[in-house]
Amino acid sequence: MPRKWLAVVSGSAVLALAVGIGLGSDNQHLLTIAIQTMLLAALASSWNILGGFAGQISLGHAVFFGLGAQITRELWLGGLPLAVSVATALLVTAVFAAVVGVPMLRFRDIYFTIGTLALGVAIFLTVGNVRPRLSSLTVEALREYNFSGPYFMTLGTLVVTVAVATWLKNSKVGLGMMAVRDDEEAAGSTGINPLSHKMVAFVVSAALASMAGASYAYFTASYYPSFPFSVVWTFEAILVAFVGGMGTITGPLIGSVFFVVGRDALPSSIEEFQVVVFGLLFIVVVLLLPGGLLEGAQRLIGRRSKQDTQSTSNEGTTKSKGKELV
Amino acid sequence: MSRLILQSGVSGVLVGGMYGLVALGLALAFGVLKVLNVAHGELLMLGGYAAFFAFTLWGLDPIVSIPLVFLGLCLFGVILYFTLFRHVTKLAIGPRIKNSLLLSFGLVLVLQALAVRFFTGDERTISTSYSSEAITIGWLRVPVVRLAGLVVAVVAAFLLEWVLTRTRFGLALRATSEDWTRAALTGVNVGWVYLTAFAISAGLAAVAGSLIGLGYSVSPSIGLGWTLKALIVVVLAGLGSMRGIILAGVFLGLTESLAAVWLGGEYREIAALVLFLLVLSVRPQGFFGRAHA
Amino acid sequence: MRKTALSVLAVLSMIVAACGTEGADTTTTTTAPVEATTTAPVAETTTTGEEPMDAPESITIGAVVPLTGAFAGGGAQIERGYRYAVEAINEAGGVSVEEFGVSLPLELVVRDDASDPNQTASNMEELGGAGVVAYLGGFATPVVAAGTAIAERSEIPYLAVATSTQALHEQGFRYFFSPFPKSPDMAVTTFEMLNGLIPEGDRPLRVGIFQESTDWGEELGPLWAENAAGNGYEVVLHETYAPGATDFTDIILKAQAADVQALLSLPTPPDGFAIYQQMGELGWKPPFNLVVRAADVPTWNDLGEAGEGVVMSTPWHPGLGFPGTEEVNARHLDEEGRPADPVVGSAYALVEILADAIERAGTLDHEAVRDAIAATDGLSTIIGPITFRENGTAPVPNPLMQRVAGAIELIWPADAATSDLVFPAN
Repeated sequence: MPRKWLAVVSGSAVLALAVGIGLGSDNQHLLTIAIQTMLLAALASSWNILGGFAGQISLGHAVFFGLGAQITRELWLGGLPLAVSVATALLVTAVFAAVVGVPMLRFRDIYFTIGTLALGVAIFLTVGNVRPRLSSLTVEALREYNFSGPYFMTLGTLVVTVAVATWLKNSKVGLGMMAVRDDEEAAGSTGINPLSHKMVAFVVSAALASMAGASYAYFTASYYPSFPFSVVWTFEAILVAFVGGMGTITGPLIGSVFFVVGRDALPSSIEEFQVVVFGLLFIVVVLLLPGGLLEGAQRLIGRRSKQDTQSTSNEGTTKSKGKELV
Repeated sequence: MSRLILQSGVSGVLVGGMYGLVALGLALAFGVLKVLNVAHGELLMLGGYAAFFAFTLWGLDPIVSIPLVFLGLCLFGVILYFTLFRHVTKLAIGPRIKNSLLLSFGLVLVLQALAVRFFTGDERTISTSYSSEAITIGWLRVPVVRLAGLVVAVVAAFLLEWVLTRTRFGLALRATSEDWTRAALTGVNVGWVYLTAFAISAGLAAVAGSLIGLGYSVSPSIGLGWTLKALIVVVLAGLGSMRGIILAGVFLGLTESLAAVWLGGEYREIAALVLFLLVLSVRPQGFFGRAHA
Repeated sequence: MRKTALSVLAVLSMIVAACGTEGADTTTTTTAPVEATTTAPVAETTTTGEEPMDAPESITIGAVVPLTGAFAGGGAQIERGYRYAVEAINEAGGVSVEEFGVSLPLELVVRDDASDPNQTASNMEELGGAGVVAYLGGFATPVVAAGTAIAERSEIPYLAVATSTQALHEQGFRYFFSPFPKSPDMAVTTFEMLNGLIPEGDRPLRVGIFQESTDWGEELGPLWAENAAGNGYEVVLHETYAPGATDFTDIILKAQAADVQALLSLPTPPDGFAIYQQMGELGWKPPFNLVVRAADVPTWNDLGEAGEGVVMSTPWHPGLGFPGTEEVNARHLDEEGRPADPVVGSAYALVEILADAIERAGTLDHEAVRDAIAATDGLSTIIGPITFRENGTAPVPNPLMQRVAGAIELIWPADAATSDLVFPAN
């Protein structure tokens, strides 16, 4: 199975590169960009599990990212060891997702989407009210700040997220999710319980998002507690997943690199036009590559033909010629 | 206390009218073209600036300039459709929603940044001679400017409803929104329908924007906030209903205002959102939407 | 085929751009229309007669400012202040650096963080990596706060204005300097002014506070209440609200019912517009209105009658008459069509302070420059004499202004006032 080997080899190469940067570089800017890219890629991948695999487009993803961040930060800065803080955050978020998922997952399609949006904004505003003060690392912590810790934690989060996504995609549960995505009624009639599959996707996606949040809390020098709950994080995760290629594993990774590096790399002598150029670039990419960057790259190497994009729902691999790479 | 409740209630209804007006255009674009245009708020913002400049440069009253602003942004909507959204409408519905979301995101960045460049980041507002006028009923004050917003919203909704139900064009619009392939088969020029629907949607956003410029203020970054409100209203009303949108908007506005009175200003929007979720759990298809098949 | 080629091109260009950023030499200067701010280094003979070290071409200063997004309006004022100061200093011959025995021009590198603290952080990292001597801050606490931590971690001096949150200075940071009025000073000055300008029998003793539910609101609101009580005023209303609401009817009505005579608020734009518009619509306005921050925007006059008579607590006014004011005002009038905006002066002063510190330090070493900034003692700037406290703040004028008939009149301190306080304002 040469394709699978290719995936393993290229994946390992990227991983090795990431590890190399983490160990070898002391360019703070590079490390910051790398962390931000990996963070967004992890967040996009976790969203993808619910949105790409199970087909439930949630606009409230930032809630879980934020919970992971806030719980981790408060416990850790309050004196608990980091590992304990992160584990607690993960657990609490997973439970919260399970509880919230029961009413939320009864909504379908756009109602679910806007419902999760409403939930997300409500929680964002609430956190802003109850925790308005800046959360900053102490002077000592800043003096001793070492990028390695956060870097490898973020990398670890990304690896775990990708691993879980990969496992899910090839598992029975995952197939069930995708069946629900493609046609919920049909799936139900073949004996798959749509609600339980959606719930699994919801909770797993939330738990992974909270891990990303924990990484953010560990990495950031100072921020406002409401910030990780902001809808902007959700939007960016979704954009990255879409632009990269939804329902795929590498899609979010490619999308994240495009987004974070692209935005940062634009020459800033053009100042506010930087934003305009990035927006235009974004539009161009969307128009030229309606299937996402991953599909564009695949077309480049001859794996997909143009017809696939226009007829496919782009939400999976079922209709493409030959197996998808990852 | 009762004065507080009543006056807040009135303000809530008036604000709600604006929410409804903003949502109308979004509902049209989403209903007919099945595109999710998150740049709707930016079109609103541009409409607001158009009204502002018509006022400061030519002395045109913002109510009087509504048709002008409407047409102006309709034209801009046509341009946007031809250059951008047309390509997205060729896709199947799943990727269509997704790609229109992405596309409009890029548009948000571009329009906002250009607005900052040409208009500066400072907020602007239109103050006319009647800006502080109000119709007084005892101690109750109904500010004229806000009332105008509600009136325009209601008129627009009725006009739209009339067009949709009583004209051939409206029939074509509805047929396309229900099933565009079948509509095409019965001879509807889907491309034209999409174009006009999108243009009208842009025009409606602009009209809302000019009223916001009059009753509130405009700045380059106001778009997203209003878009989010509009999304909530569209879902609350239920997909497919135009008349219901103004009512849903009013409901949202009223909820916010009463929440502010009873729970405190900090919980205004939170309470409204929670109530929205509660309504949705009891009635998942929104107030006037069709129950999920 | 063409589509594929285009997408390849797009991807390639991004890769190239990405490679280009690592360790890039950021020699970009500010906005295009203005001529380059760098001039050739002016060699001076060294006093010791030794060979001067290899001098860089210029002193690079990194400014991360919100030019787009919610804080774009204030950000534009900041950028202007920095730019004017850099050009003025360069025209006068630059900054002399003893270590190299020459006077070097300042080079201002401006980055837009789009009002997003995340981007503030990454932009500052990039500038730090490219070797800036110091950072200049943006506008508003959220982005400045993000900046302080990065500066502290990188151990590069960070000067900022447009943030009044005292809490930022209570973290023990050594690299953060902000010669700007802070909440405690503002609260004190408010009542100093009221007592100073209004005779005892006429004072607006019933005070109402509209407190924003943000960290700064939580800080300033109670301070106002404390100072009110301490000066014989009565706080009859103290309401909290979340920023960004469309409607303020509830708190306005409550203030009216409580017969508030002096209303103190610190709204984030555009809430200031909304509150005063709605007061106009509801037909009530107290005789005294202090609007911190939101009324600073040059477009406040759009409100017309509704915004008339509000008092602003701003960092600077040309009427203060400190050295450099005339030139800045004239230039601003010329380029923007109005007298210099409030924050322009404060931003200008930061560059003056930095230039002076570098000269005293005699080197571009971060630690030495930091120490020199901290040791600034009575330096004459456009915002007055500057001496830093241990926590990075400095006693600065806290002038109060009032918007009267479309103009901004300086009303406090009384000896520099251009006009009397118009009271009652309604």
